Amino acid sequence: MNVYLLQLINGIGTGMLYFVLAVGLSIIFGLLRFVNFAHGAFFLLGAYGCYQLAQLGLNFWWTLLLGPLIVGCLAMLAETYLFRKVYKLPHEMHILITVGIAMVLQEVVITQWGPLGHNVSPPEALQGVVIWGDFVYPKYRVFVIGVGAMMALIIAAVLEGTRLGAIVRAGSESTEMVSLLGLNIKRIFSLVFAFGAATAALAGVLAAPIRGVDPFMGVEALSVAFVVVVVGGMGSFAGALVGGLLVGIVQSMMSTIWPPGANLMIYVAMATVLLLRPNGILGRA
Amino acid sequence: MKYLTPHRFTLLAIMVALVLPLTLKSGSLATELLIFAMAALACNLLLGYTGLMSFGQGIFYGLGSYSAGWLLLHFNLPLLLAVFSAMGVGALAAAVVGWFSIRQRGVYFVMLTLAFSQMFYFLAYSLKDVTGGDNGLLDIPRPDLEIFGQVVLPTSSPWQYYSFVAILFVAVFIAMQRVSDSVFGRTLLAIRDNEARAAAVGYNVKAFKLMAFVLSGAVTGLAGALHAILAGISPLSNIEYHISESILLMTVIGGTGNLFASVIGAAAYVLAADWLSEIWPRWMMLFGFLLIAVTLYMQQGIWGLLEKLYKSFRQSDSGMEAKSLTAGKDQV
Amino acid sequence: MNAHASNDTLLRARAVTKKYGDFTAVSGVDLNVRKGTIHSVIGPNGAGKTTLFHTLTGSVPITSGSIELEGQEVSNLPGHRRVQRGLSRSFQVTSLFQNLTVAENLRIAAQGRAPWAALKAWRMAKTTDAACLMADALLERFNLIHVAGRAAGLLSHGQQRRLEVAMAMSARPKVLFLDEPTSGMGVDDINEMKELIHSLKGEGYSVLLIEHNMDIVMSISDTITVMQLGKVLVEGAPAMIRNDERVRTAYLGNMITGGKN
Repeated sequence: MNVYLLQLINGIGTGMLYFVLAVGLSIIFGLLRFVNFAHGAFFLLGAYGCYQLAQLGLNFWWTLLLGPLIVGCLAMLAETYLFRKVYKLPHEMHILITVGIAMVLQEVVITQWGPLGHNVSPPEALQGVVIWGDFVYPKYRVFVIGVGAMMALIIAAVLEGTRLGAIVRAGSESTEMVSLLGLNIKRIFSLVFAFGAATAALAGVLAAPIRGVDPFMGVEALSVAFVVVVVGGMGSFAGALVGGLLVGIVQSMMSTIWPPGANLMIYVAMATVLLLRPNGILGRA
Repeated sequence: MKYLTPHRFTLLAIMVALVLPLTLKSGSLATELLIFAMAALACNLLLGYTGLMSFGQGIFYGLGSYSAGWLLLHFNLPLLLAVFSAMGVGALAAAVVGWFSIRQRGVYFVMLTLAFSQMFYFLAYSLKDVTGGDNGLLDIPRPDLEIFGQVVLPTSSPWQYYSFVAILFVAVFIAMQRVSDSVFGRTLLAIRDNEARAAAVGYNVKAFKLMAFVLSGAVTGLAGALHAILAGISPLSNIEYHISESILLMTVIGGTGNLFASVIGAAAYVLAADWLSEIWPRWMMLFGFLLIAVTLYMQQGIWGLLEKLYKSFRQSDSGMEAKSLTAGKDQV
Repeated sequence: MNAHASNDTLLRARAVTKKYGDFTAVSGVDLNVRKGTIHSVIGPNGAGKTTLFHTLTGSVPITSGSIELEGQEVSNLPGHRRVQRGLSRSFQVTSLFQNLTVAENLRIAAQGRAPWAALKAWRMAKTTDAACLMADALLERFNLIHVAGRAAGLLSHGQQRRLEVAMAMSARPKVLFLDEPTSGMGVDDINEMKELIHSLKGEGYSVLLIEHNMDIVMSISDTITVMQLGKVLVEGAPAMIRNDERVRTAYLGNMITGGKN
């Protein structure tokens, strides 16, 4: 099978993962104007959750549900009791506080699971390959693309079709407008924040069988999420999708040409986009 | 800024350099303290004076470390030349990273510095032939300080190297203090206070920010170089996110109100790392909590805390001193 | 209309248009400011007056049109460069350096006329510097000496509005853009400000003024431009504007004729 086609599909898979990772960050900032530097830590928790639950023998399908749910609840608690007090402070404070939290969570992970990485096997049902004529491809990766696409559809449906979605979209345009609508804005914020954290955790759960887990994957994830958002445009759902796919594909293609440069390429791509379109591909000028 | 004698801070810095040999047993630890103090000073120029929160200081630290290491290993450069070349590399890298990052404001700027930090990490990792990849550069020599071929200051023992670093530290502190008190420094403060107004009164805000960035990069590069020579190695970790995070952490915890506070922040971090890491390897967790606490309750950092204690001390001394509420607004 | 597009036109704006996406805030505005005159821009809220200021001073990039200062095109220059050409502004919503002292606010603003000197990272500010001398002169003129050492954020509202105007003057501009300088001020302050703006004329400044206070507008302006919904409605001397039907309609009543005749 053509190696470039293979890498393209890999890129789409990675890209979908990056989309799921970054979409929460983008929407949270768009609506709440809150900068969450602990976003990577949610990814980390999701991944380690996957590892731990697999160790406990839990069915992967349950992990896929429980991991994001648990992280989402923790995030909701954090939002209600900590972050809410902090919204009125300048953005720099948000950054510092969430960096502090990320730091603590990373240390907790190391305390619990050690400083070295672990491997996670995909569930039995998803091991092996899919064969379709000439096309041979790992089942698990196909699954990841599927989940990513499903998430994209669900989020798009919610954003375009529901009242909650309309509020999120309106809020991304103007925070003042949202508060004028007189809704129970606090509850909506909590929900959106929890959702954002849950999607990061979901990305973590999905990523664990592909790249294993290690305590520093949170930082890497945060950085990638930033790149996706910078490339795609902050506060934009479509931007997260476009940005994620672009970054994923670039990374994959590069891994054929010059493997050590694959990760580097993500950032070169970011710098290029910044030169040409400072607000991201789909960002508002 | 509010103080009548800005030289007060320079004197404190000199005192620290003189007192460390008397209070610490390890020359290496003392040297490391001053090295990170320099890095924190540079970070404070950006954060406390220009209002720029940079997660990319590790880039310049790491590049300074690699350049000094490389020049000493492959070209046997004299000590000062290697160290100053590293400063140049730091400045250049800061010009490039700064140019990209400063085009954005606020949160986007911060995000960019973090992303660039990762980029340079991967760059260093990929260029194994130059940087040694995972292993880093090893066996970096530590030449004596020579001027025109005469050995002016030997550097082989820890305390000898300390004296070399201490001289540089004091020189850097004096220079940075002067910069922050200069018309340039005061313009930076105005930019931090109200960027839109600074532009409206005629300043090219991007140019000023970039210059601050370059100065910061140069001093941070110097710190990295000195560390590589101290440890004899230039590891990959010198250019990792963790070091950017730590430098920022020290700066915030020390306090951003003045330059000496950065020395305090660096000292707190380095000493805590040394003492706690034996007892509890996960001591970083405490610093995570400390960062949150400082951000919420102690925005002036440790220096601010000390200031408050000092003031309440003096007030209880004078007892009956009328606590005049600082007048709010006059009616004219 | 203004028939005096003569040699002593200092600032000439032609067909100035500013769009925010689909919304046109300013549409095809022509404006001539003659040297040594006070030129007021009035109009109901939402008329686009402040946006016009933004485009003329460069706070916001222009969508289309031309802006000439002393015959030279400046519409392509960023705001900070226009200060060096001689345009300077005050803000409708007070925008000072809150944490810096009043004296420092003025010094920084005065230095902005020659900003590259501020890049000298080794140089301390000396009291004999031109910027410091200018700051001292302004402190006196604007009656702010007694609060010179106070942080700008701690001033009373009236003092802050005075500082706003003083900062605009620090750059020794050719054209001074004042955006509602008396907004929120008490009666005595307003009179003081009115006298001050009027005296600027005698000193050779040209002033472009946005004001809602019709007493000031009618008594000190040489020319008045009336805007509505982003366009110029009419332009002329105060007497003519006061009697213009269109203006009365735009303002819904007698507010225009307020103040002393």
